[in-house]
Amino acid sequence: MARGETDLDEEKRSYGALWLVLSLLLFVSGLWAIADDNVFRRPWKKWQAEFNRLEIARLEAAIHKEQERLDGDPAYQAAAKALAEARAQADRGDTARTIDALEHDLEAAKEQDLSKDLNLRFIKSELEELRYRYDEALHQGQPTDALLREIEAKEQVRTERQQAYDESQAHIADLEGRLKQARGAVKAAEDALAKLTTARDDLQQKLENVSLGYYPGPKAEPPFFGWDWQPKIPKIQQVVLEEFDRNNFDEPVARVDRCMTCHAAIDKPGFEDQPNPWKTHPNREVLLGKHPVDKFGCTPCHGGQGPAVNSDREAHGNYYGADGHLENVEFIETPLYRAEKMETNCIKCHANVETLPGAEEIGRGERLFVELGCHGCHLAEGYEDLAKENGVTAIGPSLRRIGAKVDHGWLVRWITNPHVYRPRTRMPNFMFEREQAVQIAAYLLSDTRAASEEWRGAHPAPDLSGGPELAARGKELVESIGCRACHAFAPDEVAGQLGANKDIVPNLAKIAEKTDAQWIYGWIRNPRGYSAIARMPSLRLSDDEARAITAYLTTLGAKQPEPPDLETQLADPKNVAAGEKLVRKYGCFGCHDIPGLEKESRIGAELSSFGNKTREELFFGDRTDVPETWDDWTYNKLLTPRTYATKWIEQVMPQFDLADEDIKALRVFLASRTDAKVPPKYVYHPPGEQQIVNGHRLVARYNCTGCHVIDGRGGDIRRLYQEQPTMAPPILNGEGAKVQASWLFNFVKAPSPIRPWLKLRMPTFGLADEEANTVVRYFDALDHVEVPYVHLELATFSPQSIEAGKLLTSKDYFDCFSCHQRGAQKPQGPPEGWAPDLAMAHVRLNPDWIITWLHDPQKVMPGTKMPSFFPGGPPDVLGGDDEAQIRALRDYVITLGMTPPSAPPAQAAGVTTAGPGASE
Amino acid sequence: MRRNILMPALLAAVTAAAGPAAAYDVVAVTDGGTLSGVVKYAGAPPPPVKIEVSKDPEVCAKDGNQKIDLTKSAVVGPGGGLADTVVVVKATKGKKLDVPAQNPVFDQKGCEFHPHVLAFPAGSTIDVLNSDGILHNIHTFSTTNPATNQAQPKFKKTIQIKVEKPEWPIKVQCDAHGWMHGYWLSMDQPYYAVTGADGAFKIDDIPAGDYEVEVWNGVLGKKTEKISIKPKQETKVVWELSPG
Repeated sequence: MARGETDLDEEKRSYGALWLVLSLLLFVSGLWAIADDNVFRRPWKKWQAEFNRLEIARLEAAIHKEQERLDGDPAYQAAAKALAEARAQADRGDTARTIDALEHDLEAAKEQDLSKDLNLRFIKSELEELRYRYDEALHQGQPTDALLREIEAKEQVRTERQQAYDESQAHIADLEGRLKQARGAVKAAEDALAKLTTARDDLQQKLENVSLGYYPGPKAEPPFFGWDWQPKIPKIQQVVLEEFDRNNFDEPVARVDRCMTCHAAIDKPGFEDQPNPWKTHPNREVLLGKHPVDKFGCTPCHGGQGPAVNSDREAHGNYYGADGHLENVEFIETPLYRAEKMETNCIKCHANVETLPGAEEIGRGERLFVELGCHGCHLAEGYEDLAKENGVTAIGPSLRRIGAKVDHGWLVRWITNPHVYRPRTRMPNFMFEREQAVQIAAYLLSDTRAASEEWRGAHPAPDLSGGPELAARGKELVESIGCRACHAFAPDEVAGQLGANKDIVPNLAKIAEKTDAQWIYGWIRNPRGYSAIARMPSLRLSDDEARAITAYLTTLGAKQPEPPDLETQLADPKNVAAGEKLVRKYGCFGCHDIPGLEKESRIGAELSSFGNKTREELFFGDRTDVPETWDDWTYNKLLTPRTYATKWIEQVMPQFDLADEDIKALRVFLASRTDAKVPPKYVYHPPGEQQIVNGHRLVARYNCTGCHVIDGRGGDIRRLYQEQPTMAPPILNGEGAKVQASWLFNFVKAPSPIRPWLKLRMPTFGLADEEANTVVRYFDALDHVEVPYVHLELATFSPQSIEAGKLLTSKDYFDCFSCHQRGAQKPQGPPEGWAPDLAMAHVRLNPDWIITWLHDPQKVMPGTKMPSFFPGGPPDVLGGDDEAQIRALRDYVITLGMTPPSAPPAQAAGVTTAGPGASE
Repeated sequence: MRRNILMPALLAAVTAAAGPAAAYDVVAVTDGGTLSGVVKYAGAPPPPVKIEVSKDPEVCAKDGNQKIDLTKSAVVGPGGGLADTVVVVKATKGKKLDVPAQNPVFDQKGCEFHPHVLAFPAGSTIDVLNSDGILHNIHTFSTTNPATNQAQPKFKKTIQIKVEKPEWPIKVQCDAHGWMHGYWLSMDQPYYAVTGADGAFKIDDIPAGDYEVEVWNGVLGKKTEKISIKPKQETKVVWELSPG
C-alpha cells in the first residue's frame, strides 16, 4: 500500500513553477529563433532590401523624369486632351444616351440568348436519344415507323430553334458593333496615348516588379497617406552550375553561387556609381555579356565561397583589416581574388591571355614567366617544353662556344653580378663571391675550349683598316638597316621592353668590353654559325657592311684590364672542378646550353599547383615580419628570392630585381597555377586560339614586334620614324587577310625586298618549316582566315573588267605605274619613291584584300604612301561606278603577272562601257 | 604667282564669328596696334641645296631640272629676307577669327606646292588644285586632325580638304614626287602672318599689350620674340633666324 500512497502524493504535487520556467524558456528561445533567422544570420536581407529601395528610387526618378518629358511634349498634351474630350463626350449628351440604351439592350439580348441556346441544346439531345432508340428497334426487329415520324417532328422543331438562336446571335453582334462604334473615339484616344507613354509604362511595370506595391496594397493609388512604395521581401538569389566541381570521390557536383543575393545590382545597368554591394559589375556589357551570370555564376572567376550568405567575411574568405592589409578567414581554401588577382582565373578557360582584353595583368604575368625563363628551373604544367628549341636549352644564349666570345675578365665580372654591366638584362643576379665566379668561369671556359678554338680558327678576324670612316659607315648602317629595332646603343636607351625594367634584347652600349672584333664579325655575318639556337637573325650583310658594323661596335665601350693572376686561376683544375659543382647547384643549365649538362633536370620546386599552397605549406624562415598569407609570402619571395633562408636552410633562387608591378603580375600568374580544372562545357576555345598562342611565342622569341606592329602591338622601332612613318617597317595588322599563305611561308623563310624605298631590311631568321608554318597559321588565325589557299586562274576573270582596270592604271587616270613597279619595268626616279611590284600580286596578295585596300589604304595601314583614289573615280570609266572600278583594278592587278606585261594601255573607247567585273 | 598675297586678303576677311578656340577670348578691338617688319636670315645664307628632278621631267623640270630642296634650304630673298616664315602673336584675346569666304588655295604646279607654307583659320576648307595634270597626292601628317593621303590624278582638278582643328605645322608631302614638300598651319586666333618673298609681314588690330611672338620657319625652326604693342601705333621689328 505504501506504493499507493506514494502515487497519491505524486498526483498531488504541483509542477506549476517548473512549467512556467520551461514555458518562458520555450517562448524566449522561440523569439530568439525568429530573431536569429530573420536578423542576426541574414545580413543579406538588409543589403537586398536596401538595393530594392535604391531600385525603387531610381525607377521613381526615371518615371518622374519621363512624365516631365511627356508633360512638355505637345504630342502627349494633345493626345491626353483628346482622350479627356473623348471620355467627356461619351459621358454626356446623345452619345451617352445611345451607349446607355445599347448597353441595356445588349444585356437583355444576352439574357434571352441564353435560354434560346439552352432550348436548342435540349432538342439536340432529344434527337440523339430518338436516333438511338430507332437504331435499337431496327436491330431488334421491332416496328420503327412511329419513331421515324417522331424524329421528323422533332427535326422540325430543331430547325426552328436553330433559326431563333442564329437570329439572337446576329442581334448581339449588331449591338456590340454599334456599342463599339459609339465608344470608338475613347478607345482610339486611349491607344494613341498609350503609344506615347510606352517608356513610362515599361518603367512602371518594372517598379511593380521590384515592390509589393504601394502600402497597404498594390491597388492603392499614390499617394496614400504618405506611404511610399514597399520593397519586395528579400529572397536568396542563386545560380546553380551543374557538374562544375568534383567531390572527394571525383564525382561531378554542382556549384551554387549566391553572391547576387547581396550583389543584387551586379547585372543591372544604372548602379555604376553605387558602393558595393549595390554596384553594377564594371565593364558589365562586355564581361557579363561574354559570361552570362546564369551560365557562369561568380566564383568561377572571382573565387570565394559561393553558397555562404551568413556573413560577408565568410562569403569572401578574406577582408581588409583595420590597417588596410588583406587578411584571410581561417580554413577557407578559395578566398576572393582581389585587385589585380581578379584576373587569376581568366587563364583557366582562355589559352590566349596575352591579348585578351581585360586580362592584362595575368597576360603580363604569363609573358614575364615565359620570357624571364622561370620555367627553366621550375616545372609548370603547360610550360614544360618552352625552355628548349629542338631539344637544346634556349632561354639564355648557348655557352657551347663561350670561350670564343667573351673577355675572361668580363665573364668573371658578369657572373659575379650581371646587373652591374647591364642593369636591364634578363639574366638574374646569383650574388656570387668573386671566387665562385672565377670557379664557374674556369669550368665554362675549360668545358668549351675545343669548340671555341675551332670556331675562332674557322672565323678569322676582319680587316678593320678603314679607321674612323669605316666605323662611321658602320654606325650609319646600324641606324638604317634595323639593328635598333631590337638593340639599344646608348646606356639609357630602351629598344624593346619586357615588363617594367628589362630589355628584350641586349643593350650594346658597352659591347667592346665584353667581346672583340673577331667574334662580332663572325657572329653578325652568320649568327646560326656560332649558335644553333641563335635568336639573332642574319641581315644578309656583305663583307664590307659586316666589317663596317664591326668597326663601329668595337668603338662602344673598352676592354677593362684583367687582374694579373686571372688566367692562372682560370686554368687551375681545382677551380674547374669547384665551378662544375656550382653550375650544377645553381642550375645554370636551366637557361643555358652547356656541354655535358644537357640531360640535367630542373632544380627549382614544381609550380604546377603552387596557387593551392596553404600558409602551412609555405616556409617563412626568419621573416616574422611577413604576414602569414600566400600573397605576402609570394610577393616577398619574388622581391628578394633568398629572403626565407635561415642559418641552416640555404636558398639558391637568384635575384631578378623585378619592379613592383611585375611582381604583382607574376603573382597573379602563380595564383592561377592550381589543381582546379574547369569542366570542358564551361570552356570556350575560339577557333585558331592555339595557333595564336604559338604565334605569340614565336613572335616573342624572334622579337618580330621590334619592327612590326602585329595584332595591334609592337613596332618598337617606329619611335625612330615618327617624322617619316613611310620609312618605317610595314604594319602587319591584317597580314593574314592580305597575303597568300604560300607566299608568306616562302617569304619568312627567305625574305626578299618588296618595298624598294625602305632602308630597313627584313632579316633572314633561318626558320624551320614548322616555324614558318606557325607564322602563317598565326596570321591566318588572327584574321580568321579559314581557307588559307587562293586558287587564281586567268580564265575566271572577265576580259572586259581586266581591260577596264588596265585603262584605270594608265597615265590619263590613276597613273599607278608612276610609282609601282611592273615586273622588269621600273618607275622613274630613285627607288625611294617606288612602290611594290604589281606583277607580284597574283602570288602575293589575296584578291579580296586588294578591294579592301583600294577602298581606303590609310585605314588598312596608317601612314602608308599609297594615297586613296576612291571615292571619286573617273566618271567616264565603267559609268563612274566606284565599286566596279575597284573590282576592275583588282582584276587587272591580280592577273598582271599571269601574262607578260603588255604594251602601254590601249585607249579603247569600248572598255568604258564594260560592265562590272564578273570574277566572283 | 606667289600665293602669299592671300594672307593679307584672308586677314582682311576676318570679321564675323569664329569657332570658340581654346584660351582665346573674342573682344571688340577699337584702338589696336600694328606689328610689321621683316624676318631675315642671320648672316650669309649658304648656297641652296639642290635636288635632281628625276621623275616626270616634262612637267616637273620645265624651268631646269634642278629644284631647291626645301627640306634643307630656307628660301632667302633679296636683302636676306626669309620667305615662307610664319609669325604668330600669342594673343589670348582680340578680334574674331573667321573661316574665309574664299577657300584657301593650295596648288601643285611644276611639281611644287604653291604656297610652300599655307596658314589659315581652323575650320577652313582647302582647295587643292592640280595644275600639273599628272598624278600627285596630298599626304598630310597631322596628328590632331585626321591625317589624309588622297590621290589627285590628272582628271581631278580640285579636291577639297577640311581642316577642323587648330594644329601647326602640318607637314604636307607628295609621295609620287618625293621632293614636294610644304606646310599647313591651322590657326586658332587671327594674329598671324606668313612672310612674303622679301621676308616682310604685317599684322593689324592687335589689342595693346605685351606679347610673345613665335617666329617659325620649316628649315630653321622656331624662335620666340617679345614685343609691346601700343594703341593705334605701328611697331616695326627686324627679326633674325639663324640655322641650328
